[in-house]
Amino acid sequence: MKTIIKLQLLILTLALSVISCSSDDDATQELSGENNLTIEFDNSVNGDDLLLGTSSYTNSNGETLTINRFNYIVSNFVLIDAEGNEYVYPKDDSYFVVSEEEAMNEVVLENIPAGDYVAMRFGVGVDQEKYLQGAEGQGDFLQIAEETEMMWSWQAGYKFLNFEGIFTSATVTEATNFQIHMGSHGSSLDNYKEVTVELPTTALVSESLSPIVHFAVDANEILDGNTKILLSEKAVVMIDEVKSPQIAVNATGMFRVDHVHNGENIEH
Amino acid sequence: MLKYISSCFILLATLMVNANTPIEDPIASAVNPFYKYDYEECDFCGCGSTGGGMGYGTIGNENFIGIRYIYQRYQSRDGIFNNSPWVEENFNTLQLWGKIPVTEKLSVTAILPYHFHNRNFVDGSSQSINGIGDLSVLAFYSLITPKVDGLYANQQTSIKHMLEIGGGVKMPTGAYDRANNEGSVNPSFQVGTGSWDYILAANYSVGYETWGLGVLANYTFKTENNVDYHFGNQFTYGVNVSKVYNTLSIDKIIPYAGLAGEVYAENESYGLPVADTKGNVMFARLGAEISFGKLGTGVNVMLPVYQSLNAGNVEAKYRLGLHLNYML
Repeated sequence: MKTIIKLQLLILTLALSVISCSSDDDATQELSGENNLTIEFDNSVNGDDLLLGTSSYTNSNGETLTINRFNYIVSNFVLIDAEGNEYVYPKDDSYFVVSEEEAMNEVVLENIPAGDYVAMRFGVGVDQEKYLQGAEGQGDFLQIAEETEMMWSWQAGYKFLNFEGIFTSATVTEATNFQIHMGSHGSSLDNYKEVTVELPTTALVSESLSPIVHFAVDANEILDGNTKILLSEKAVVMIDEVKSPQIAVNATGMFRVDHVHNGENIEH
Repeated sequence: MLKYISSCFILLATLMVNANTPIEDPIASAVNPFYKYDYEECDFCGCGSTGGGMGYGTIGNENFIGIRYIYQRYQSRDGIFNNSPWVEENFNTLQLWGKIPVTEKLSVTAILPYHFHNRNFVDGSSQSINGIGDLSVLAFYSLITPKVDGLYANQQTSIKHMLEIGGGVKMPTGAYDRANNEGSVNPSFQVGTGSWDYILAANYSVGYETWGLGVLANYTFKTENNVDYHFGNQFTYGVNVSKVYNTLSIDKIIPYAGLAGEVYAENESYGLPVADTKGNVMFARLGAEISFGKLGTGVNVMLPVYQSLNAGNVEAKYRLGLHLNYML
């Protein structure tokens, strides 16, 4: 009997100690101020890290690719919070080139208002509104695009996607160059597309919190996405009224957020 | 203040129980070493207080003070892709540990670890952290104490049971550095969790002649640390079979074999779940303890037989433990 009373006392003591600590801290701080939100575009091919020039990747079309260039334009970022409010990043500053060969993989959106962001919308390429502002309206971005092989010429316009390498297939047994240059071709063919992605973890922005949104970008989707694009049929796709729009849609399928890091001034 | 109260509960429990403890035969637990199988706390990788599912005590479970060394080898994925490189991780822990009797039925176990961990990246660079880890203090109370055999046949039992329960606290005496937690590599590359954690434990064992069977389970409630990171709660279990051999030159040799496992809940950061941080691992464990008079020493190895840690991004390779104790 005495043992049972002692046991009860012991359990009560243990229980109290556990309860007493669970009521501790955990005050959810109000988010205020503004900070950067960093987006990392981590390029891959069907789950494998994309390694330029060294690895080969076989897709479901039975074609084996060695990729030498994988550049694309992302633009017009919009952050969507838990209540559905949208924060539109200033348009003039909202054009970026992601380039595997130049190790340009990071987009830093500055002075983002505090919030709990659950989704993000952005464009792949350059919209007509921006393009029609003329060469002067492009600011520094025109030069960046030229330096990263993302322009044909001012008249022909931006390449939204520049995907190059060599491939072989059942019918093309000799290693053959391929070039996928997708864009809007001036103002005659509009291949600008928007993508909305959900964040698997809420990205918290405040005076002290500066999150990193880490994308896994799958280059395999370009040829092996919604519409199957066979390089054996056509290895150089630039101005193509059928295939270019298909590739533009496929390219929107490349983007998935792998994870979000919340924290203050963190190094990734 | 709450933390102060919480950390003092062991003292309170001690006083309460002490006041009611009847006097029992003081040699009861010295008859057969299998009556107790001590609390076994494990920590995932680097930052727990004790290390590697190797327990708070010894198989023989005498009262002691001593030192223990634990080595744990892991690898974790540096990147988010199938072909992302592995990072090799080495977790070393040196502990001062002891199990000190308070009354016949109550004992206090304390462990103070010193960690020195390192990891090697594929580019040839490496990172080291070291320092005092988290101090753990637990109280154990014996609910079933094995009966001592008398002189007559009707006073003797061939099967002897032991059951003890306990609880305690792990204090944030080790440093937690949030920077080590970023990226996609092992989030447990730390010397401390930075949090006040609370532990409940139960051990049961049964002895028959020179054979022993021990079963244990414990649960650690982890709390959010002061930089808003919250390691997931942890369940630990283990089963061991052991046998005592006596020789002329050595008092006792106790080889043992068993299984030990750990289940981890998801971590949280700023109150939000951190993807791919839950998991579980089960080890096969082999070891032996040897005693010479007042000195006891032991060695054991643990090899994973099943694991699913951090969505496969962390893999336990093996663990090794050595200790040298002075029996009280």
